[in-house]
Amino acid sequence: MKKYVLSSLFISSLFCATTVLAQTPSDEILMKKYELCVAVSYDHGTWNEYWEGAKLRGNANIGTLTRTTVAPMVAAGITDKLNILIATPYVQTKSSGGQLAGAKGFQDFSVALKYEIIKKQIGKGNLAVLGTAAFATPMSNYLSDYMPYSLGLGTNEITLRGILHYQLDKGMYVRAAAAHLWRGQTEAERDYYYNNGSYYTTFMDVPNAWNYNATLGTWLFDYALRLEVNYMVMKSTSGDDIRLYNAPQPTNKVEVEQIGGFAQYYFKNVQKIKGLGVLAYYTQMINGRNMGKFTNIGVGATYQFNVKNSQ
Amino acid sequence: MKKYSTILATLFIVSAFITSCENDLPTRADFSSYDFSGLDETAGTWKPILLTAPTQIVIAAPAEVSSSAYQAELAAVKAATANLSGAQADAVEYWTNNPIIRWNEIALELAAKYNLIPGPNEDGTYTLPNAANPAGPPAFPFAHPPYTCRMLAYLSVAQYDGLITAWHYKNAFNRSAPYVVDTTIPSAYKKTTLPSYPSDGAVVAVASRDILTAMFPLEAEFLAAKAEEHLNSLIWSGSNVASDIDAGKLIGTEVKKIALARAAGDGMKNAQTPKAKSDSIKAAAFARFGWQWDNQESPVRPVGLTPLFGRVKMWNVPSVEVVRPGIPPAPGSPAFEKDVQELKDFARNLTTEQRKIANWWSDGLSTYTPPGHWNRFAKEFMIKYKMNPIRSARTFAYMNMAIMDAGISCWDAKYYYHYPRPIQTIPGFKTILGTPNFPSYTSGHSTFSAAAAEVLAYIFPNEAAQCRAWAEEAAMSRVYGGIHYRFDAEVGITQGKNVAAYSVNRAKADGSN
Repeated sequence: MKKYVLSSLFISSLFCATTVLAQTPSDEILMKKYELCVAVSYDHGTWNEYWEGAKLRGNANIGTLTRTTVAPMVAAGITDKLNILIATPYVQTKSSGGQLAGAKGFQDFSVALKYEIIKKQIGKGNLAVLGTAAFATPMSNYLSDYMPYSLGLGTNEITLRGILHYQLDKGMYVRAAAAHLWRGQTEAERDYYYNNGSYYTTFMDVPNAWNYNATLGTWLFDYALRLEVNYMVMKSTSGDDIRLYNAPQPTNKVEVEQIGGFAQYYFKNVQKIKGLGVLAYYTQMINGRNMGKFTNIGVGATYQFNVKNSQ
Repeated sequence: MKKYSTILATLFIVSAFITSCENDLPTRADFSSYDFSGLDETAGTWKPILLTAPTQIVIAAPAEVSSSAYQAELAAVKAATANLSGAQADAVEYWTNNPIIRWNEIALELAAKYNLIPGPNEDGTYTLPNAANPAGPPAFPFAHPPYTCRMLAYLSVAQYDGLITAWHYKNAFNRSAPYVVDTTIPSAYKKTTLPSYPSDGAVVAVASRDILTAMFPLEAEFLAAKAEEHLNSLIWSGSNVASDIDAGKLIGTEVKKIALARAAGDGMKNAQTPKAKSDSIKAAAFARFGWQWDNQESPVRPVGLTPLFGRVKMWNVPSVEVVRPGIPPAPGSPAFEKDVQELKDFARNLTTEQRKIANWWSDGLSTYTPPGHWNRFAKEFMIKYKMNPIRSARTFAYMNMAIMDAGISCWDAKYYYHYPRPIQTIPGFKTILGTPNFPSYTSGHSTFSAAAAEVLAYIFPNEAAQCRAWAEEAAMSRVYGGIHYRFDAEVGITQGKNVAAYSVNRAKADGSN
């Protein structure tokens, strides 16, 4: 039986993280028709150094910045090949140094459709090709122009992603995903800002971005445990650098390289809690531009059931 | 399968749409040349600010329009206007017939570009920008509000005195504009009856370039290119012949010398004191009042921002002491506690509207500062009321003198009273705006804004209520932001009004009314 597991959110807390950086819509897993999965994840991200342009530096007036995210999610199988995923993250930020107040609130509502385009046996394994399309939009009136404390980029975002997944019959797999993120504009609460020149408007262009993921993983214990290591790259296609000793702003050109590990256990043999899964992950940014050098730890729980059977 | 392809295709289209229908973001005032509401033909009789009289600067009488020298210049203008390239036409469109507005806009952009506070070195020390080594690091200048208000004052005063001089000689020599002498020459702007010798545009180009180059030495090349384009646009637009421009350049050069001579001796170079002096100022305040402001950053900045800016030479106020406000409530007193309670309440329950006001007026690092914000308002009124260049220069000059005087008075109070900020007096207090590196009482935003509003209210009476309401809002924005007590803001408003009265009274007597 193929299990659905909602894998880690990897809300790669960017400076002011964008919406769900979509690990969920970037894996290969699909639920069958009438299957529903509810999940919640908790992400704890911190940094005490950030990239000002390409230069890594600290700032004692921020000290350590902490960003915690609680993300309730739901995924459902519309058909065996098409899933819908919805997430509503709640974010809280604060810093250990300085006197600036943190922020908290609901960030961006996101909805994604994942579709399996190809699935076929090739050699000793199975190849899956999937595509996802996601839309995210701010759920509250949070201020994006309050970096590094802001909850998100405060803009609509559309993501299209292609996923290639090849899994050996023994359970080992590799996966690669590439996505483009189209961002709109965000509105600041001031009508003048500097972005390599004057801008007389409250609107800021948030750069579009490319996002790549490479994953190596395996299933163990008869598909009860899944282990992964992964590598993620995110690159804005335009934007300015953070100015010297100055706050970031949503117009910045953000780049990130991140490595991580991920584990998920599915209680498939325990009748009482059948359908329950737990997950944990750790990620570390290793390179970046105009971004806090985040270390993230996350845990989550998923519960999967069949809507028809339970009726 | 087909259904899902349709969904995907739709999303593709939507995402293309999201980028294409973004607003085009404005990077400057969106206006074209306009018909002036009045020409102020007699502005040569107005009283200048720094010059004793326009005749202090002397220019030669121009060649007669019948002379061969003039005819050759006229032919050059005719040829140039007949064959404008796209870039030349764009330059004419950009500079308009009120280039005062563009130069002010350039000044504001440079203020924003250089308004970056130097960060600490690796060892926790701070290096200050140094005019003798402008490249730094850190780059010179740090265009903070005192620096920026002074920069704008000298720019505006030099432009204004230069234009009064130009107007004086226009009337004295009465040589007509190229398009009047030869009616086949087109004018890109609305034709006027004003004589064109000397060129007022050239006065503005050169005086602005040179004042701004003195204030932003690393921008010399950028400013030279801007001035060059502006000067050329005077030919391309059919406004001037070459000798009009040469005479204007001469006035611009002379007036900038007079302005920069005042700047060199106004005391600004001593405003950023060494630590020993700063400590003695702090100790004097503590001895007087029993409190002192201390920087709360880490690492601690050893000296506040320009402790002796309050000693800089004022424009229109006889002495800084006559506008010094009274003593603020002592920390711990009931009046103080009342305003502290208000700050705590705002921090707990700030409305979206209050947050927006705090951010709207924050004008912090990497922006044009509060003085720049009021220059922007003035610019918008000039366009709205179709003000001509000399009246625009007068508006900027009186407003920026009042703003600088307000800044000097405010800084005098800040370092005389040396009053601690809310983050120093309220344990654990967090704010949504960054607390600046200088004492609390009185609020710079309030003082700058009230002074600017009073001058604009005098010049644009229809906007008086709006301007004063803006100033009140700017003042309260600092309280919402958690970085000023209400008494800082309220006393700052009164102080700004008092200071501005001197500039307004001088303006009323300058012969322009």
